[in-house]
Amino acid sequence: MESKVNILMVDDQPGKLLTYEAILGELGENLVKASSGREALDCLLKMDIAVVLMDVSMPELDGFQLADMIRQHPRFQKIAIIFISAVHLTDFDRLQGYQRGAMDYISVPVVPELLRAKVSVFAELHRKARELELLNRELEQRVLERTAELRESEKQLRQRADLLDLATEAIMVRDLDGVLQFWNSGAEAFYGWNRQEVLGRNVHQILRTKVPGSAEEIESVILKGGRWEGNLVQCTKDGREVVVASRQVLQSDGGGPRPAILEINRDITAQLLAEEALRKAEKLAAMGRVAGIIAHEINNPLEAIRNAFYLLQHHPTLDDNARVYTRIADEELTRVAHITRQTLSFYRESKEAVPVSIAEILDDILSLQSRLLERNGIVLEKAYGSDGQVIGFPGELKQVFLNLIGNAIQAMPEGGRLRIRVSEAVEKGQQREGVRVVICDTGSGIRPEDAKQLFEPFFTTKSTKGTGLGLWISKGIVQKYHGIIQFRSVQFIRGHITAFSVFIPKSASQQMSESHVLSSASVS
Amino acid sequence: MCKKELILCVDDEENQLAVRKLVLESKGYAVLTAPSGQQALALLAQHSVDLVLSDHLMPGLTGAELARQIKAQKPELPVILISAVNEIPADAAYADLFMSKLDGPIAMCENIAAMLARAKDGSGNSSGNGSSSG
Repeated sequence: MESKVNILMVDDQPGKLLTYEAILGELGENLVKASSGREALDCLLKMDIAVVLMDVSMPELDGFQLADMIRQHPRFQKIAIIFISAVHLTDFDRLQGYQRGAMDYISVPVVPELLRAKVSVFAELHRKARELELLNRELEQRVLERTAELRESEKQLRQRADLLDLATEAIMVRDLDGVLQFWNSGAEAFYGWNRQEVLGRNVHQILRTKVPGSAEEIESVILKGGRWEGNLVQCTKDGREVVVASRQVLQSDGGGPRPAILEINRDITAQLLAEEALRKAEKLAAMGRVAGIIAHEINNPLEAIRNAFYLLQHHPTLDDNARVYTRIADEELTRVAHITRQTLSFYRESKEAVPVSIAEILDDILSLQSRLLERNGIVLEKAYGSDGQVIGFPGELKQVFLNLIGNAIQAMPEGGRLRIRVSEAVEKGQQREGVRVVICDTGSGIRPEDAKQLFEPFFTTKSTKGTGLGLWISKGIVQKYHGIIQFRSVQFIRGHITAFSVFIPKSASQQMSESHVLSSASVS
Repeated sequence: MCKKELILCVDDEENQLAVRKLVLESKGYAVLTAPSGQQALALLAQHSVDLVLSDHLMPGLTGAELARQIKAQKPELPVILISAVNEIPADAAYADLFMSKLDGPIAMCENIAAMLARAKDGSGNSSGNGSSSG
């Protein structure tokens, strides 16, 4: 698209102007006439002039003066000026003209072809310059637009990066060889490895990922279907094993020529543990229900049998031998009754949890056991640093400590020392306040091989005398209170010292639901 | 030691009822038996009973419900519930005593003797329903 340029012709003689017009007319450009220097300046200010064709000698403002004025204006510095003069033809004059910025100098008589050719060159030059300028401006505009676009997308990218770091999930990008390219703050926090440590390294080696099936299987699923979801077992920096729900997506476009795998992992370790705990609690509750039913079904005939033996024992026709047999049978039945009461007679303590003094409970138990302690020659040492106030169910807590004290006494048939300590305590891990009771005996000790099974149901070291449920029940009760039951048995040259420690938190009561409370029935 | 004291024994299980009756008779009590709460109430209308010893879980009327109905008519008549259930029922408080069948014949007889002695003293009011210890 060629556009016309303006050519300004300045001369005080209208005839000359007409001549120039005639000569330049066929260039097809826009010709502007001015009959004086002032008029020329006027035109220059009003329009974009490509070439000024001017007579040197003009009244008022001559050509040189006009050129000076034009040159002083920054906008006009690039305008081509062609002087036409009949008189001044010396080299000095030409020099003066060039110094004033003239592009060219034509003397009269004007050769039309020459003038036309020169003007045409300058007009063309101007047009090209103008086009260039236009292109330049366009280019600048495009650069501006592009810069704005870039700034916007950079902002978006930064926002996305911030979002990635806000996520608590571990988010990572790796190539198909497992080499890590991206690792968000969530991953840093969760796995304990920071960016600098892992980028460029193999993800599977760092996290020691264990997968269901094989790693190749997962890889092939991702490559074929584009994604994989499932649970993985991994290791944190400090060696802790964690379970994560993992989602992995293949990214083959946009992210460069090499495909990458985006992986988002969510920690479900605690969730799984909670589910496991719930399953256990449900199992325990179910066992409690079954125990209740069995207890009822056994207790009923048991009563009739014991009553029958009672009658038999007092029957006048019974001879001495038969009396011994019935006594033995009755003793054994009493034991069965004792066992079903101790173990199967779970009942629900429907009342609300109440403030309980563990020290009082312990004294209560000890007074019941005082004869046994005396008979076995056991020295009792009490160290109550607190009355051990907690919120709970007295029956249950009594069951726990009766089991522990009963075990301690049974472990010392030849005498020994029974030490019982009660103190206010703060659990190390979770900073919970509570009461700690330590029951310590110098009895037969716990064999290391038995230690693992001690809290398992039906595990007993007392052969036929024990039911194997005492510690299991105790542990269940303590766990219901969100407490801790632990033991230690140490062998010395002279014997063993075994200590059971029970921690009952003060504030656990809110977490106990009254309707699912299982506890053992009263003890005789 | 003039007249034998009369105990009304209630249980839906025949064998248990029979043996319990024999134990009580061996202790010198006169015993009436009823296989259900309804029949027990009918017998109570006809006889002058000194104490009721009833099972708790029975078809029809439960022991606790029986105790409630007896107490509505004869608040001074001692009622002992004897049960093999693992849960002390909320309404067991209607009876004077709730005891476990596991406590055995001796404890059962002791409880009955104590309850009768208290009723004779005239102070016979309820005193909770805790499971008694042997």
